[in-house]
Amino acid sequence: MTPVTAILLTGLGTYLLRAVFIVTASRRSLSPAVLSFLEYVGPAVMAALVVSMTAGSSGLSQMKTPELGGLCAAAVVARYSSGHLYSLIAGMTVFWLLRAFL
Amino acid sequence: MNAQSETQVPADRDIIRDALLATFSLFIPVIPFTLVFGVVVAESGLSATLGWSSSPIIFSGAAQITLLSLLGEGASTAAAATAALIVGARHLLYSAAVAPQFQHQPRWFRWLAPYVLIDQVFALLKLHQHTDPRAYRLYYLATGFGFWSLWMLFTALGLILGPTVPESWGLAFAAPVMFVSLLVGMVDSRPKLVAAIVGAVLMALLLGVPNRGGLMIAALVGMAAGAVMERWPR
Repeated sequence: MTPVTAILLTGLGTYLLRAVFIVTASRRSLSPAVLSFLEYVGPAVMAALVVSMTAGSSGLSQMKTPELGGLCAAAVVARYSSGHLYSLIAGMTVFWLLRAFL
Repeated sequence: MNAQSETQVPADRDIIRDALLATFSLFIPVIPFTLVFGVVVAESGLSATLGWSSSPIIFSGAAQITLLSLLGEGASTAAAATAALIVGARHLLYSAAVAPQFQHQPRWFRWLAPYVLIDQVFALLKLHQHTDPRAYRLYYLATGFGFWSLWMLFTALGLILGPTVPESWGLAFAAPVMFVSLLVGMVDSRPKLVAAIVGAVLMALLLGVPNRGGLMIAALVGMAAGAVMERWPR
């Protein structure tokens, strides 16, 4: 296989992962239990992504005061405002300030 | 369409405007990712054109960066593609979660929509739920292809600018900040809070699993914890 093949296979695989339920299950009714379970995809995946991305390749040692402070500031602003941009500005500002002064 | 439904369903231009505004504000934290993408392509030894071609073909930042990083490190192409698909496995959950909204959608949309089902589009669909099928379709297409257009443009710019931005700026931290913002908007009940906490804690415990394979486990256990909490007697 060449890099071109790898890119094409990954593209096809990614599409299939995204399409499988939309294309095949969209005409069937899902049971209430399954629908209830799927309600939690967003919170569970987003929370896991936050930890995964913050830790990066260095693991939990990467999560220090600036990172935790930035995430907390972003969460507080997101709780009390409707704009994701405000949350981003707050989170990055606290992150940079804590990194500069600690 | 009767007068009552006209008042309930927003006008097309309002839906598209809301979708594009949300897309632009959510794309800002993604820009550092496009710079990282540029660095990864430069270090992989692949041509810039081939590296960029992964944007329209895969359209998943994390999967693209994983694939190109591993190819650059000399991994076999099969291993690199497998790892990239493991990283992107969460899209399976997104597909299942949005599938009920596709029961009344036309066939062409069911085949087209998955191509742009990325993290941010999924989150926006959960935050701005449109019950009218046409409104849902418009919002989906505007956010999906809004992100797509910006990703194509900025990954091309990232190839040029990425290698010039110092890593010490810590711009990559913008991505988890964005996801925290999305997460807070989704947590509107105690079971969802439990799902988020369990997902986060388990992910922290499973960081050592190769290729972030722990992400799916953490997500599934978090979802199960939320569902159990929902039925828990108070």
